[in-house]
Amino acid sequence: MHEERLEQLGKHNPFVDVAAYLFLEDIGDKQGAAGMNNYLMSLANSLAKSMPKEEYSSWDDFLNSLQKGESIISAFETIKCPTDNCVVTQTCPFTSGWQEYTKRVGEFAGIHKEVAEFYNATIKPGAVDSQCIIHQTFRRAAAERIKVAGRRVRYAQIEAVTPNADNKRAPEEWLPILLEKAGITETELNMTMRNNDCVWILYPE
Amino acid sequence: MLDVALVSLIKNMSEKAGIEGAIQYWSRVGENLAKRIGEEAYMGWPSFNVALKEGRTAYSIEGDVVALTDLAITDVDGDVVGYIYALETCVFTPTIERIRYSVGEIPEADRAVAEEYNNTVQNTAVCNFCVIHQKFRSEVSKNITVENQPLECVQLANRGFRGDTKIAIQSLERIGINPEYVRSLLRNYACVYGILMKGARLRGKEEAE
Repeated sequence: MHEERLEQLGKHNPFVDVAAYLFLEDIGDKQGAAGMNNYLMSLANSLAKSMPKEEYSSWDDFLNSLQKGESIISAFETIKCPTDNCVVTQTCPFTSGWQEYTKRVGEFAGIHKEVAEFYNATIKPGAVDSQCIIHQTFRRAAAERIKVAGRRVRYAQIEAVTPNADNKRAPEEWLPILLEKAGITETELNMTMRNNDCVWILYPE
Repeated sequence: MLDVALVSLIKNMSEKAGIEGAIQYWSRVGENLAKRIGEEAYMGWPSFNVALKEGRTAYSIEGDVVALTDLAITDVDGDVVGYIYALETCVFTPTIERIRYSVGEIPEADRAVAEEYNNTVQNTAVCNFCVIHQKFRSEVSKNITVENQPLECVQLANRGFRGDTKIAIQSLERIGINPEYVRSLLRNYACVYGILMKGARLRGKEEAE
């Protein structure tokens, strides 16, 4: 059912996607990487806040909802959960927009990577480009709206790869802790990243 | 996801920059998009219409555009100087479906932006995104030539997701098309516009520049 829904909702509207990227570039031109970063985070936080809060009685119920795409945190992407806390995004939901941009406008503007460098240096290291900032901020804000057995859900990013094959992995010193929480080894992470776009974790507070 | 996020920001943006500010933002986005897509040249209307059908023109970014070749725009000498084109699906429809599924409702600011645009710029918007893509079409026309003549795009009619319609009577009179005919086109199409040679001496009420 979820697959059918995603297929129906995943209809292309390149105009809106490409226009959105150019809108963000306009912000970047006027306010620089710092201003653009604020805008991207504000955009993601607004989106999460506009979605309904959730409560689950158990982690299993939450995982079930998450994998069906019924939870707000997985509403925009197709995910799978190799363990109870590890979440794998098969295809980045920004892929089609990025493809339309590169097909119709040209090379992705440099500001999208510059803003990610700013985000990595000042907020949290995990973004490859502007799209990751939106996505990761959204996941963090969406997780805060979910309670499982009365406890808040926390989110952390492990690794992401963009459609043009640039990737960003969590810092070396954080990786063992994140992998332990995810319940996977570094080798399993490498194997997962061969044919998926993003690996992240969700765990109770 | 990006489109849904952007819509959820409209309220925020309208509060910070004002409705007029939001319109200026959207207009600039439409203008920038047209500039970034680049120039095109066609030998004649048949080659332009084939390119459109095959999705090779800048206009194709809006989705499948249908050339209504039975609705040619003619000048005072009876020569074809343009055609009427239509989008079956509004570019905004997939976004609205995603919003309904993930968020629940369209922000009120969507309608406020459209109304302000109708009152201050031109009375042709049924939602806030009309501001971007009507500006885009009008700007992109300047970068395209047919038989070495630059083009002009005129918005003729559109239907919003709430079922409300806008029909640009003056533009229709100018190109000599009956508004009732265009109204019937809205039964099957979401957006109808004309592309014609800039400066053509039209047989409608007003002549082109």
